[in-house]
Amino acid sequence: MASDLIETFEEKARELAAGVCRVRCDAAQIRQTIHEMTRDAASVAVGAGEFLPDGIVNEIRSIPGALTNPTGEQLARAEVGICGAFAGVASAGSVCIALGPPLVNLSSLLMPLHIVLLDARRIVARPRNLFDPDCFGGEGLRRNLVFVTGPSATADMGPLVRGVHGPHRLQIVLIG
Amino acid sequence: MTQMPQPIAPHSEISPRSIANKADRRKLLAAIRMALDIQSPAVRRNVQIFNRSRYRAISLLPDYDALKDEARRIKEASIARLPDLLQHLRRTVEGRGGHVFLAATAADACDYIRQVCVQRGARLVVKGKSITTEEIRLNPALEAAGIEVAESDLGEFILQVADEQPSHIIGPALHYSRERITALFKRKFQTELALDTGEELTKFARDILRQKFLHADVGITGANLIAADTGTLMLVESEGNIRMSSVLPPVHVAVAGVEKVIGTRREMAPFLELLAASSTGQNLSSYTSFLSPPIDDPPFALPGRPPAKREFHLVLIDNGRLRMREDSVFRETLYCIRCSACLNSCANFQTVGGHAFGGETYSGGIGGSWEAGTGKLENARFSELCTGCSRCVNQCPVRIDIPWLNENLRNRLNGGAGPSVMSGLIATVASAPEADERSPVSKAFFGNYHWFAEWGSRFPRVANAFSNLGPVRWSLERLFGLDRRRALPPFPRRTLVASETNQASAGSGTAALPRVALFADVFTNFGMVQRGLATLQVLRALGVDVAVTESIPEGRAALSQGLLATASAFAQRAASLLDHYVKQDRDIVIVEPSSLAMFRRDARHLLEDQQLFERLRSRTFDPVEYITRLLRHLGRHPAAVFDLRQSPVGTRLFYHSHCQQKTIGAAAATEELLRSIGFNVTCSSVECCGMAGSFGYKKDFYDLSMAVGEDLFAQVRKAEEPGHPLALIASGTSCAEQLRAGLGRDAIHPIELLAAILRQDPSLSAEAASARSRNVAADSTRHQ
Repeated sequence: MASDLIETFEEKARELAAGVCRVRCDAAQIRQTIHEMTRDAASVAVGAGEFLPDGIVNEIRSIPGALTNPTGEQLARAEVGICGAFAGVASAGSVCIALGPPLVNLSSLLMPLHIVLLDARRIVARPRNLFDPDCFGGEGLRRNLVFVTGPSATADMGPLVRGVHGPHRLQIVLIG
Repeated sequence: MTQMPQPIAPHSEISPRSIANKADRRKLLAAIRMALDIQSPAVRRNVQIFNRSRYRAISLLPDYDALKDEARRIKEASIARLPDLLQHLRRTVEGRGGHVFLAATAADACDYIRQVCVQRGARLVVKGKSITTEEIRLNPALEAAGIEVAESDLGEFILQVADEQPSHIIGPALHYSRERITALFKRKFQTELALDTGEELTKFARDILRQKFLHADVGITGANLIAADTGTLMLVESEGNIRMSSVLPPVHVAVAGVEKVIGTRREMAPFLELLAASSTGQNLSSYTSFLSPPIDDPPFALPGRPPAKREFHLVLIDNGRLRMREDSVFRETLYCIRCSACLNSCANFQTVGGHAFGGETYSGGIGGSWEAGTGKLENARFSELCTGCSRCVNQCPVRIDIPWLNENLRNRLNGGAGPSVMSGLIATVASAPEADERSPVSKAFFGNYHWFAEWGSRFPRVANAFSNLGPVRWSLERLFGLDRRRALPPFPRRTLVASETNQASAGSGTAALPRVALFADVFTNFGMVQRGLATLQVLRALGVDVAVTESIPEGRAALSQGLLATASAFAQRAASLLDHYVKQDRDIVIVEPSSLAMFRRDARHLLEDQQLFERLRSRTFDPVEYITRLLRHLGRHPAAVFDLRQSPVGTRLFYHSHCQQKTIGAAAATEELLRSIGFNVTCSSVECCGMAGSFGYKKDFYDLSMAVGEDLFAQVRKAEEPGHPLALIASGTSCAEQLRAGLGRDAIHPIELLAAILRQDPSLSAEAASARSRNVAADSTRHQ
């Protein structure tokens, strides 16, 4: 069942132009994966990873270009934003991000590339599951959330264009 | 002294703003011409993409109908206890440190928001997409106070540059092609950049707007839903601009109609997927936020700007909504979640968009009710472009009967027309109720068509000789608005009812036979008699005991003109007539789909006795639908009853079903039956042919009707190989006329084809007679 959900999640997310890669739950390997993704970036904003296994975000903060206590100006110029996800939604290929902890909101919004880390055990079947009081301790009913489905997009200028005000690329790193 | 009306500019010079308000009917006609000439290709392309995506998305929702039921229940309950919810919401938001302002009018709302901005010394406001701020005219109010307003949704950005009103509730600038946007930006921004692609245009606008986001003092958004228990706003978007508007500036103002408030955050769940699927046709939009402001994140601050505390203002707009809530008909408008499914599934909207089929803010099928509810009744005059084709009905995620709202708008607008001698005369001779005597003459004519049809059929030779004479057509056009370019169907030499009295009723008296009453609807009885005769021939060959009813109007024509008293009276009389046959245990077969749809759908609003409506709804059938059920009941394969080789029109068919027939689920049977006989059938996929009953016969709408028809004509041409035309099959009278007008060829009704290929098999009747039950409708096939 869980592997079905992961498979559906990956398939749907790719359909919606998100990149998906899967790594085992090993902080060094995850750091290496992120490092390769951000190799060309001069500055990277790293938000909290509230729902990730311990130690992962601290490890990522050691990649070259990672900003420590960034100013508004640094954030406005950063090329990559990284944060952890609250949950994944298989039917829509979405990641759900719980806002609040430092830089989670801005790192998922301001930079052209958004890398989101998702614990594969936190994938639910449908969006509405997160509104169930029994799902993840009812956290989905209490927190400020944003469901992110692919990069920002518009069809207002004629053809479909990916990359508008929000991130132009979404890369999901599935852990486990 | 009467003031001279202002002349309307030639359509090539019309600015959309100048014809946004269509209280003056001439502006509606000018807007249609403008839209057909300039906007139609972009509108058609973009709206049809939305529509196709929506069909695909809802097909992937396994519990689509259950979600709709749930959403409807939540909206009904929320509007029912709205005053309590508003108080609850206020307590919640204020308890979290936010502010709530309930604005009685648009002006009150603008005053409040302006004060908030002025008190914070705001110079720049960035706005996410909010159609409600268009309704209250917020931008001019802020600009008058010296505050710059930056529209950040790219569609709204285009409109701000062009100074136009939105033409679509979620794609406000979809009437602009890429080429027209390029020309607009080059002209307005005086730029040398190429801007020849969507990417270049997007980058150009994004670069401008990114600076606005970073420096904005106040962010203004709308809200798709608001939960009273947690103060949560549901915000749906694709571009990321609403997230930026609600997160980056220190002050967030959310503006929403009071109808957006529901009880709990948990109740937002069914809307999450339903809204995305019904609007853009996605599983979810790029970003769906659930925020309970003021949020915890520190406001974004560039160097040199003082740190500011987060502030949140929720501005809830009444502006007529609480009055709508008290209106037994228009209360339903408040269930609308503004997804645009009714716009996208509307053939007229697909062709002209919301600058013609819309008002100053709202557009499309639901738009008239919003414009009338938040403004004046006359502002809803554009709702005349709702033909009642009903294609939107099954698409609405909260099950609003949008044609019924528009028929009521028409009714109320008719009432304002003042007494008319001619309308009174028509109503009198056609036995229509006094209440409808004030309607415009054209509406009285089209709504009482049966009377003219009946008289023409009494003297068919004279009527046919005269009805197509130039001076007669000129007079009909001048008097009633009946376009002279439309061919009028000839009156038959003998009506269906008169033909039937000359024949013995086959099989009557055999108790075991399935029993049917063929309703002699006005269109078949006084026009397409051959369809009725073909129905009799096939049913009797299959051993059915058929009686033909008398021919009386069922109210469809009157309903479509907003003559509700007439429609109710006629529907009541026809329902009583048919109920008499149902009580004889007869199923009712009705050839004309719009007449059938009256008993399957619309009459629920017109009949006081809902049990009578339910009785008729479950016992009325399209002829081919009934035959399909009968053959299943008899255990006969269609190919054993109908012989493909006898087909007078070949084996390759193009079938166009009728819009209302599709809505009531009575169209698929024809397609299936023809295929199972062995025909090669191509089906149209258009929502409506554009004729839509009387709509395309009207002089004012002829060009629009033909433009809508172009999609259907193109589908036929595409399906045909050169030199090998397909036989045209259509279930609706006016659909056949539209096909003839567009392609120059006649279409036949499927029942005529079936009659022509009936096998000469005497065992059919005997077999039918030995059937287990004579009630086909009750044989586990009753439609839901």
